Amino acid sequence: MTNDSPTNDIPAQITEIIAKQAKVDPAMIRPESTLKDLGVASLDAIEVIFDIEEHFDITFPDQGTNFDTDTVQSLVDAVNKALASKDGAA
Amino acid sequence: MSVAAHRRIAITGLGAVSAFGLGAEPLWHGLREGRSGIARLRHADAERLRVRVAAQVPADYDAAAHFDERMLPMLDRTSQFALLAAREAIRQSGIEFARDGLNRRTAVVIGSGIGGETTLDEQYKRLYAENSSRVHPLTIVRSMMNAPASQISMAHELHGPAFVVASACASSNHAIAQAVLMLRAGLADAAVVGGTDSCLNYGTLRAWEAMRVLADDTCRPFSVNRRGLVLGEGAGVFVLEAMDLAQARGAQILAEFGGSGMSADAGDIVAPDPNGAAAAIAGALADAGLAPGDVDYINAHGTATQANDITETRAIRQIFGSAAERLAVSSTKSMHGHAMGASGALELVAVVQALREGVVPPTANLDVVDPACDLDYVPNVARVMPVRAALSNSFAFGGLNAVLALKRAP
Repeated sequence: MTNDSPTNDIPAQITEIIAKQAKVDPAMIRPESTLKDLGVASLDAIEVIFDIEEHFDITFPDQGTNFDTDTVQSLVDAVNKALASKDGAA
Repeated sequence: MSVAAHRRIAITGLGAVSAFGLGAEPLWHGLREGRSGIARLRHADAERLRVRVAAQVPADYDAAAHFDERMLPMLDRTSQFALLAAREAIRQSGIEFARDGLNRRTAVVIGSGIGGETTLDEQYKRLYAENSSRVHPLTIVRSMMNAPASQISMAHELHGPAFVVASACASSNHAIAQAVLMLRAGLADAAVVGGTDSCLNYGTLRAWEAMRVLADDTCRPFSVNRRGLVLGEGAGVFVLEAMDLAQARGAQILAEFGGSGMSADAGDIVAPDPNGAAAAIAGALADAGLAPGDVDYINAHGTATQANDITETRAIRQIFGSAAERLAVSSTKSMHGHAMGASGALELVAVVQALREGVVPPTANLDVVDPACDLDYVPNVARVMPVRAALSNSFAFGGLNAVLALKRAP
């Protein structure tokens, strides 16, 4: 799966992925929310990361990110960064 | 059942295969010296993998030097390592199953977390990547979970109860506990026990990457800068005997097996629960008839994940109370890596040798102790101290806990 969402709005796509995994209304998800705030526990968080990686066809670095406590905005930033380095490499 | 009613159990032989090579002695010497067996991952696909480091059996290991060429196609590395460790342990014990009338009275119980997964990975690659429609005809017998126990029983003509126990990272400890229960119940008089695993294949490495619990540098248990676990491989095997029979045949008793405690967190599939770990620790003490003050050393599960090291510390404090202040606790995974189902057995080699020599192996790579981990972790350098009794902790993914208690030989 690649970036095939009707919109290229990255925050909206990430929100959609998290909402599906956390089973919450996308409107509840704010840039400053953490996965923990949204009730996404450790293993669910890894699944969210996996879904985001699959969706954007990127790989997050192993270290330097704490997916439980980082915010939705930091995930958006990490996706942008990973996409930029992918474009740069292509 | 009262402790006095237990048949006493002796450990009379040790064997190991680890990142330190073949043998319990190279393993123990490495641990005692605080040397790490962790190095850059050697793998045909290392360039593509994100896994950077591992504690692998040395590259000069040559299976053909140890096994008949007709046997080898039947032996996944898990079986090879288990057979080599068993050979060593049996030789050291001086037991001769036929002479001692034990062929039908000896059990084989081996722990393995993932069994012959490497064989499956190799063979499935033929199907999925190379578009072959055939796999090797011995794929089933090589990869089956019970292969290591079967191979040991065949190699030594042991006809007692034999099987493999699987509880991920606690497999060795659960296996040894099962064998002890059978010895105590009189189902067998001797047992060949331990654990084996070798899962450093492409598919399994990718699966571990996806869990995001692997360190990219090294294994630093209890250190504030720990970055996760480091995968390893190997096997540890022991000969257990009923104490009276071992003494009657004049065997050298290396240590006494005291008891075991087992529990399930019955909570999260990966997040450890200090209460589950504490229940297993308390169970092992009670089964061995030990008070917290009798124990001098704990070989910790100590994986160097964020969650384990704090949870394990809390569990130890919960059971030991004020006696925790004078306990030495170390994680030898910092040196032999996390060999999955073999870990408990490699760690038990360290415990037996600590009891025999009065030397506690250190926690290597312990730079700055995490403030949330407030025990004495024997940082970086082994400690000479009397060890009267010791515990070995194993806590598996899936919330399965098994703790073993050993005592100095009588």
